[in-house]
Amino acid sequence: MLITEIKPKEEILAFLKEKKSIFVIQCYGCKEVVYPFDEIQKFLQENSINYVLQDYLCNHEYSKEYINKCKEQIENAEMLLIFSCGVGVQSFSEMLYNNTELKIKGKKVYAGCDTLYVNGFQGLTATEPNCAQCRKCHLNYTCAICPITSCSKSLLNGQCGGVKNGKCEVDKEMDCGWEKIFKKSEKMKDKNCVLDEKIHLHDFKIIP
Amino acid sequence: MEKLLDYTKYKLKPKEEIVELIKDKDNLFVFVCGKCYKEFASVIPEDCKELYPILKENGKNVVECETIDFLCNRHHLDIRKSGFQDGLKKSDNVLVLSCGVGIQTVANFLEDKPVYAVADTIPQEGQHGIALYNNKCAGCATCFLTATQGICPITNCTKELVNGPCGGAKNGKCEVSKDKDCGWEKINQRLKVTEFNFWELPVQFHKYNRVNFKISNKYNTAVREKRSRNFYGGVYPFENKEYTSEKPIQQFPEPETVEIPLSQHTGAVCESLVKVGDVVKVGQKIGDSKSFISAPVHSSVSGKVTAIETKPHPVIPSGVTTITIKADGKNEYHESVKANKEYEKLSKDNLIDIIRDKGIVGLGGAQFPTYVKFKSPKPIDTLILNGCECEPYVTADDRLMIEHPEEIVGGMKILMKILGLQKGYIAIETNKPQAIEAVKKTINNLNLTSAIEIAELPTKYPQGSERMLIKKVTGKDVPLGGLPLDVGVVVNNVGTSFAVYNAVVNGLPLIKRIVTVTGEKIKNKLNLEVKIGTPVSEILDYCGADLKDGDYVLKMGGPMMGLLQKSLEVPVIKGTTSLLVTKKPDIKLSSERSCIKCGRCVDVCPMELYPLYYWYYKNSKSQNVKAELDNTGLDILNSKSKHGATNCIECGCCEYICSSKLPLIDNIKEMKKEAREVKS
Ligand code: SF4
Ligand code: SF4
Ligand code: SF4
Ligand code: SF4
Ligand code: SF4
Repeated sequence: MLITEIKPKEEILAFLKEKKSIFVIQCYGCKEVVYPFDEIQKFLQENSINYVLQDYLCNHEYSKEYINKCKEQIENAEMLLIFSCGVGVQSFSEMLYNNTELKIKGKKVYAGCDTLYVNGFQGLTATEPNCAQCRKCHLNYTCAICPITSCSKSLLNGQCGGVKNGKCEVDKEMDCGWEKIFKKSEKMKDKNCVLDEKIHLHDFKIIP
Repeated sequence: MEKLLDYTKYKLKPKEEIVELIKDKDNLFVFVCGKCYKEFASVIPEDCKELYPILKENGKNVVECETIDFLCNRHHLDIRKSGFQDGLKKSDNVLVLSCGVGIQTVANFLEDKPVYAVADTIPQEGQHGIALYNNKCAGCATCFLTATQGICPITNCTKELVNGPCGGAKNGKCEVSKDKDCGWEKINQRLKVTEFNFWELPVQFHKYNRVNFKISNKYNTAVREKRSRNFYGGVYPFENKEYTSEKPIQQFPEPETVEIPLSQHTGAVCESLVKVGDVVKVGQKIGDSKSFISAPVHSSVSGKVTAIETKPHPVIPSGVTTITIKADGKNEYHESVKANKEYEKLSKDNLIDIIRDKGIVGLGGAQFPTYVKFKSPKPIDTLILNGCECEPYVTADDRLMIEHPEEIVGGMKILMKILGLQKGYIAIETNKPQAIEAVKKTINNLNLTSAIEIAELPTKYPQGSERMLIKKVTGKDVPLGGLPLDVGVVVNNVGTSFAVYNAVVNGLPLIKRIVTVTGEKIKNKLNLEVKIGTPVSEILDYCGADLKDGDYVLKMGGPMMGLLQKSLEVPVIKGTTSLLVTKKPDIKLSSERSCIKCGRCVDVCPMELYPLYYWYYKNSKSQNVKAELDNTGLDILNSKSKHGATNCIECGCCEYICSSKLPLIDNIKEMKKEAREVKS
């Protein structure tokens, strides 16, 4: 599940200029999560562009079948414009160029969306808690508040000097993660409080 | 089928670290997450099986071990709390075996109880999509795929270069790691094929500042809000109601013959009251039963009975005895059909008798005999008229509310009188502003504002399902396996109320209904008033259905819960809300697909079930799948269990969302059958 936004309209229109036949795919697999369906729809309508709808471009089996089905349309199109997250565009174009039966020489693929980083790499859907997959879980010393993701600087040895009124100096709208850790450790008394522990260095080399 | 990649997100911490961690801790409570994004191979993750012996060897007392799938979905901790809170109270320390997101969620849930992580989260470069293959995206917010023709430079180039290869690539390998292909080499190859002139593009800088936690946080919060609006789960499918929502109800031409099945309701099949050769009139009762749960059927035309035989039926696959009547075109009414001017003087019992006698059943599709609801053995304190019509495409109730609000409200008054209620609700989704307006106006005109309240509900499927509706309107939970009357509520469809009005005031039995005829394969999409028993094929012809190429799917009802029709030789029955003709699904997939534990079905199930387990149960090759599942405490075969398959309302949300496109509903139906056998 990835969060997508439509690219600036001028950017897309610049690609479309002088193109006669376009094959447009809208991947709505993430419509129930975050996908700018209405904006894309509006954009396509305003520019009278036909499109096909297809969900789960990232599902290879599905994409493959889909390419077979739309073979003719794809072959007749000068370019393909895909509205989906980066994974969808990559999956589809990979399938396309690996398809030996298809005449794909000169067929260009265009991405219509920008994909945003999502908090955490959650299993279900977007969540507030965030995890940077650092491979060395520090939560045991920080009252289970992640210092890597809730501190702008990913500090492991406590607050930096810049915090003001509980807010981060990097971004005034962001709570200082270390402030939260301290507050929580006070609340829990010294139950699993970071202050009693030796500093654990963050071993970046274990990230491959 | 292609091998799916394993995106396992955590692994058990090294043994020494765990031993050190638990040294001074005892009476442990362990939360385990079932791990997401991997092929569903076992219920309990391997790591958990490893953790147990470590705890045992060190003489620790494990109070309880709770496996919760999708631990990061806070809702599941909340709904399963009652199952584990005693154990939690008895324990002194909480260990969590999950990825960092899960651990933090548990920590938020427990608030001031310390939790200890016994897992390290495995870094995954980039993020995969919903399905599990090796294309990844770093969410850079400036997608470069156009320039690179579909190969991501950010996740494929070690240095995340966006302006072409660095100088270090050798033989197509990256200088940072010889095991890595140079992403730009791949891109160059691709550009040759696509004949894309990369150099002509203006330079696109990598706009790091576009990835902003505030933006993604805003989205994340919006997603959760949308998902928990009104009730947990649910989906927002394409509505396609605009096809027919502006089409006034039209009278369908008189059918030449009608086929009236003796069962158009839940309960006992009627016995025929006529013989072949008999002459019948409009509204004449032609079938009835002595059973409590049943409803009589009436002729919708005047004419002659030409056959009484078993014929195909839209709901009952083996067919049902059906009375065929050839219309004489005179449309003469039977003497039993007469207006009742004095209807306001009728007693409660008189009214219930009329509702039974005129064959009124639930018109929302369920076809439950209406009068039975009003003979509730339990006290009823709330009446809700259901005008949600949350199924996509269907607009029959919408139009009825716009065009006949007086009758609907009139019917409601009658029903309230039967129940002795001073207050009732009409629930309408906000995607029907005209209907809300029309009903509101009627209520005002009739001075009923204090007696009837309109509940305007945000649109979400399946808001119209009884359980969700009752919860939203009254705040009450219908007990599992129970009925609305268990919490003192009666729910009726707005169409039913309309039919009640016609029966009581005009003496008219249920012989016609509104049917939305719609779908991509229908040329003239319409809302029609159709006589019960009219052959479906005639209606489809009338609306210009394009069926010649055989590339169509006919459903009676909406796309989510409608019943698939194999034959066109079925008649319209009392529960026919819609005839939906769409194209066959584009793509046929192999049956070899597996569940990838993406958790989307769990996220959308309004009954808060775990549809993936039902799939696993029926499709696992593992020998001891039952024992495995019993271990989780979910007890999916038990109808009393909160997570039992029998609780499924077959709303179709899980199948709609499933990223592996698994036929989950058929699977659940089988599962239910098995659960019932276990019970008996
Ligand atoms: S390709 Fe991207 S947008 Fe489409 S379903 Fe997959 S993750 Fe969602
Ligand atoms: S993301 Fe959620 S479901 Fe996946 S392992 Fe972590 S806690 Fe479990
Ligand atoms: S260029 Fe950026 S948005 Fe596009 S696939 Fe790569 S990381 Fe994702
Ligand atoms: S069909 Fe059943 S299991 Fe699936 S989402 Fe609906 S209630 Fe849940
Ligand atoms: S949505 Fe489908 S693939 Fe995903 S967990 Fe549910 S059953 Fe498995």
